[in-house]
Amino acid sequence: MTKEKIQLEAQRTALSYQTRRHFLGKCRTGMGMMAMGSVLDSCNLFSGNNADGSLVSNPLSPRAPHFQGKAKSVIFLHMAGAPSQLEMFDYKPELQKMDGLDCPDSFIQGKKFAFIRGVPKLLGPQASFKQYGQSGLWLSDNLPHFQQVIDDVTILKAVNTDQFNHAPAQLLMHCGTPRLGRPSMGSWVTYGLGSENSNLPGFVVLTSGGRNPDAGKSIWGSGFLPSVYQGVQCRSEGDPVLFLEDPNGFDRDMRKASIEAINNVNELSYNEYKDPEILARISQYEMAFKMQIAVPDVMSIADEPAYIHEMYGTKPGEESFANNVLLARKLVEKGVRFVQLFDWGWDSHGTGEDTALDKGFIGKCLQTDKAVSALLLDLKQRGLLEETLVVWGGEFGRTPMQENRDGKQNSFKGRDHHSEAFSMWMAGGGIKAGFSYGETDPIGYNAIEGKVSVYDVQATILKQLGFDHEQLTYQFQGRPFRLTDVFGKPIDPIIA
Amino acid sequence: MPSIIKSPLFLTILGLTLGLTGYYFFLTDEPVDYNAEIKPIINQKCISCHGGVRQKGGFSLLFRDEALSPTASGKPAIIPGDAKNSEMIRRLYHKDLEERMPYKEEPLSKQEIKLLTRWIDEGAKFETHWAYKSVQPQKIPGGGFFSFFDNDDENDIDLFIDKKLDENNLSRSDMADKQSLLRRASLDIIGIPAPDSIAQKYLSDPSNKAYEHLIDDLLASKYYGERWTSLWMDLARYADTKGYERDYIRSIWRYRDWLIKSFNQDKPYDQFLTEQLAGDLLPNATDEQFIATAFHRNTMTNDEGGTDNEEFRTAAIIDRVNTTWETLMGTSFACVQCHSHPYDPFKHEEYYKFMAYFNNSRDEDTYDDYPLLREFRNKSISQYDSVMTWINLYGNNDLKTYYSRLLKTGQQCINSLLADSMINAALGDTKFLMLRKSSWARMKAISLTNKSTLLIRYGSGNDNGQLTIRLDSTSAKPYLKIKVDKSKGGWSMLEVDLPPGSTGVHDLYLNYENSKLKSKDDNGMRFDWFAFTPSFPGKDQKDFTTYHDLFIQTLNRPDAEFTPIMLDNPADMKRKTYVFERGNWLLKTKQVEAGLPELFVNDKDIQLRNRLGLAQWMTSKTNPLTARTMVNRLWEQLFGQGLVETLEDLGSQGANPTHPELLDHLAYLFMNDDNWSVKKTLKRMVMSATYRQSSKTTGKAKDKDPLNKYYSHAPRVRLSAEQVRDQALAICGALSDKMYGPSVMPYQPDGIWRSPYDGRKWKQSDGEDQYRRAIYTYWKRTSPYPSMISFDGSAREVCATRRIRTNTPLQALTLLNDSTYWDLSVKLAQNLLKDKSLSLEQRIGKGYALATGHPINEQKTKAFQQLYTSSFQKLEKEKEKILGMLSDSVYRKQGKELAAFAVVTNAILNLDEVITKN
Repeated sequence: MTKEKIQLEAQRTALSYQTRRHFLGKCRTGMGMMAMGSVLDSCNLFSGNNADGSLVSNPLSPRAPHFQGKAKSVIFLHMAGAPSQLEMFDYKPELQKMDGLDCPDSFIQGKKFAFIRGVPKLLGPQASFKQYGQSGLWLSDNLPHFQQVIDDVTILKAVNTDQFNHAPAQLLMHCGTPRLGRPSMGSWVTYGLGSENSNLPGFVVLTSGGRNPDAGKSIWGSGFLPSVYQGVQCRSEGDPVLFLEDPNGFDRDMRKASIEAINNVNELSYNEYKDPEILARISQYEMAFKMQIAVPDVMSIADEPAYIHEMYGTKPGEESFANNVLLARKLVEKGVRFVQLFDWGWDSHGTGEDTALDKGFIGKCLQTDKAVSALLLDLKQRGLLEETLVVWGGEFGRTPMQENRDGKQNSFKGRDHHSEAFSMWMAGGGIKAGFSYGETDPIGYNAIEGKVSVYDVQATILKQLGFDHEQLTYQFQGRPFRLTDVFGKPIDPIIA
Repeated sequence: MPSIIKSPLFLTILGLTLGLTGYYFFLTDEPVDYNAEIKPIINQKCISCHGGVRQKGGFSLLFRDEALSPTASGKPAIIPGDAKNSEMIRRLYHKDLEERMPYKEEPLSKQEIKLLTRWIDEGAKFETHWAYKSVQPQKIPGGGFFSFFDNDDENDIDLFIDKKLDENNLSRSDMADKQSLLRRASLDIIGIPAPDSIAQKYLSDPSNKAYEHLIDDLLASKYYGERWTSLWMDLARYADTKGYERDYIRSIWRYRDWLIKSFNQDKPYDQFLTEQLAGDLLPNATDEQFIATAFHRNTMTNDEGGTDNEEFRTAAIIDRVNTTWETLMGTSFACVQCHSHPYDPFKHEEYYKFMAYFNNSRDEDTYDDYPLLREFRNKSISQYDSVMTWINLYGNNDLKTYYSRLLKTGQQCINSLLADSMINAALGDTKFLMLRKSSWARMKAISLTNKSTLLIRYGSGNDNGQLTIRLDSTSAKPYLKIKVDKSKGGWSMLEVDLPPGSTGVHDLYLNYENSKLKSKDDNGMRFDWFAFTPSFPGKDQKDFTTYHDLFIQTLNRPDAEFTPIMLDNPADMKRKTYVFERGNWLLKTKQVEAGLPELFVNDKDIQLRNRLGLAQWMTSKTNPLTARTMVNRLWEQLFGQGLVETLEDLGSQGANPTHPELLDHLAYLFMNDDNWSVKKTLKRMVMSATYRQSSKTTGKAKDKDPLNKYYSHAPRVRLSAEQVRDQALAICGALSDKMYGPSVMPYQPDGIWRSPYDGRKWKQSDGEDQYRRAIYTYWKRTSPYPSMISFDGSAREVCATRRIRTNTPLQALTLLNDSTYWDLSVKLAQNLLKDKSLSLEQRIGKGYALATGHPINEQKTKAFQQLYTSSFQKLEKEKEKILGMLSDSVYRKQGKELAAFAVVTNAILNLDEVITKN
């Protein structure tokens, strides 16, 4: 049997299953179960059996969402450690006036804080604010570049979470639960949409700041979804994707010859066993070979023109947030659906200089502001902003009070973890431009208007991609699971 | 027309046949089968609005008493025996779309409505789901008391399998050849290719008992325990770290070793479970039985600064409940946490009654993972023995038990983290209580009855501190005054006699003063734990001081291996358990006592209301779930899919069993004839002709049964992550035989571990530790070993009852390029080049045979010969490439031949046949 014949048979088989397949939206209970290492979409939940399905179809092949989404891809910029909204987007002049006063009892009675004990003092904004753009949105001087794009974003000022420790809060933000074991947002999206570019993973993760996020790799894990949907971490040092590079001494020809030999022998095995899984393996080896070229290509920023480097503040070869932001643009350009960035080092408690709001924190702002602003400008000039949803935020916010760790005033100016209200922003992908949603009280403690939950943010992201967040489900442990658990509704007022 | 058609017999047969396929076309006397016909309709069409979560209109179909109760309208929707007047049926026909059910969905089909109507007319009887009925002995198809087999290679399993095959017009395949069986059985039973001695014995044995001897040899092999431990480690969510942000080290490998030994001993499964669930509660528990309880200490501990220990203690308890149900009893219980089960008969409150079994365990998310079993070593062994001899001499039996427990487990101690009402004090980094200058803290509800001494494990950098303890009020007169000096080496022990007559439960107010401290922010002393103990015996004896000091020393800082274990609170510290509203641990409502779900309370023989009682219930022969879950899992390990595909859920929302009678047959034999022997059950399965079939697929089977649910051929299944690694090590002659011990760190690329606040690095192990079996690889939860994750290994944050196999390019890249596999390719090439007399062709054949267990054919040889030739030509021209490929100078001598051949062996290790069980 020739290779062409085998491929033809594989396609035919796939097609014959395809016709019996139920797709998202057509099926009341969403997508069904998986088994045997192959995608078996089944709506036949009540029997629980997977009669339908294809043994050779690619679980990453592109799929249509529930409805036409406005965004094709998502870039989620997560500032791990939780940046202070009060020094960036949420301007509180009243708080300035109350700087140094004891925090009123009503704010601390019955509340739990991570580190604040006893009665802390209020801390005024450690930055000055001005209004920018036609929208007249307030912005702190910690973000000198962001004013250029202020009219492209919607700022959410009253996001609420119920977790005030990093790892659980990050898990909640990305997996919809503060505990481990659930799939991440990127995995859900890849499960729902597949991947447009078969030479690249559908869900890519980039980290900077020298550390992984607090919740570890599980926040890009696939939980109970098949592992094919987990985020692939791309790295700026070493192999861009683990084990991508051939062993020393190999060149492309040798690798090509070796994959050909492997696939030739696998074809012979297929003739013997007639197991369609062998055909799938043959195509995975071909894809691996293609990835070896495609990934280093997309992961190299060296060929970008000088003005782009100037714009983003990138330096090829180093591990930096700015480089990752530029890579994110390249990845979505190539059809990657979900790009997740984590930048570590935003936990501004004021226990040392690097976590002080007037020192280390400003440094973090400056490290990221230029690249983030450049990303929006660059996407816009390429006509990609319309179809790319950019999301920025941390896992929670910071207290209007100065932290007094264990009841002692911290040596630097810092704020404790705050779950009641914090700021995030979204841009592109069908989100309103130059808009602000939600208000906090005069000291920035509680949401008083337009309060949204982390689940609402997730539901919104899914909606922009074309999903009803209640319908994007996976059958596990006898019930359909979804990213937003049993909560969430899209934040319609911010949708253009 | 032949006369038979007119005969009444024919009509009966016709009636039965049609009746089976859909007997609503015929009137039959058979009552409706609730489980087969009614429950599926209810589950699919009704229950999402009328069940455990939502009860729209006050109507629920989950339990019979609910279904027959008055709804919001005041009248019941179902009147047994009277469908015509039952609102439920009326609503199914309703013309008004607002009224018609299912609400705003497609109406039910006529057949469905007819079935529901008949069901109500017949009395609306509910029936227990099959998995909740106890396991009964099964009649073997085609046989009565004696089974008839076509040949010696069959057993009763085949009769069950054949029956289904016949029904589906399929048949079993021929027996696989000897080499295939050798490889298949070896990978299944010991996880690696059989050692030479076992393999040769089998291949050269022409007798018809050869296969059975092979199975016996494999089951007796020491590698057996390691293979089955790898399965159990997923269920136990075993890891070498604690999880969450810092994900710091946890030493719990002794539990992994306990698993290996238990499997190798073929510890009966009932005992195996009992020791893991309640080893600490067994009479005269041994160290090993304590270590077994680490099963449920593999839950995560959160060391992140600023976390609430009670929150994460609760999370761990919930994990224990969910894991117990999901892994050991194939039931998804987690949803009952927030509301009554939407599909199965479990009520919200029952979750918390069950949680109460676990809620009284000592552990409380402390940094040190207390309680720990201390296995003494070196000097500490004799120190412990001396102290215990002393106590034997001068104390009574109670004291003996008390002190042995205290020294072996550090219990019963009260962790300082429970302190509250602090003034100028703090829980330092949420690890321990810290008192500063002029500070206060409270330890709540401490029982002083029958206690005479207070022991404190403390640390301090200052001499001449004054610790004052008052009872129940900061203004009470001092109860104890203790001078506190600098501690030695981190933690020291303070010991003070309690005033005579101390009794009752009190709040202790601790106050620390030290005039030498300048600022109020200066740290005074920190506390690890407090213990209120009886007096150390032998006070009047000459050597009292010596033995007493030895006791304190052994208690404070023994030389020991520490393993987290389960241990219950004593009666005076017993925790109360409450129902959490919607699963929120902060919203505690009704208090509950430990107990089983109502569905199971008929098991009257279970008296104990603790974990041991729970274990006894779980391992009793009337428990419908435990044996079924395990045999289903064993079947899945051998056949690639369970008899019930959803291993984690045998409930009404799980998959239907493909062979229900076979499942029950195996479960029954497992508990009874085989007395819970896992080895005997495995042997029964692998001795079947079904297992021994060829894995080649026929066109017919592919069309009729693409997922091979009926086993018309043996399954082809990709090896597990562990098997992929272990097999490669074995093929290349690199596999280390070393068993047990702390986990090791084989090669891993740089920059993988980057946990915040944890400077630890992956430090590559030396020598043979590089080449240990996968189960010994150090497992960091937030950053698991990458190549194993590529092959669908589980991160082990929570239990993984079933791995879903995938087939991805990342797997290809791992086997092609991971230095581990390249290193092994070179090793294999080197081994094959050793015998100079062999031709290239022979070498290729030998390598292929090592990797697949089969002789190679001509076409495949040719493919590898070509690869060798092209690589050799390439490398001949570009010598610097060889230096890149072969790092060792010894290899450089063999030069291009070795390098070119390693390209070939690398390809062999990547073959589908190699990473698949054929």
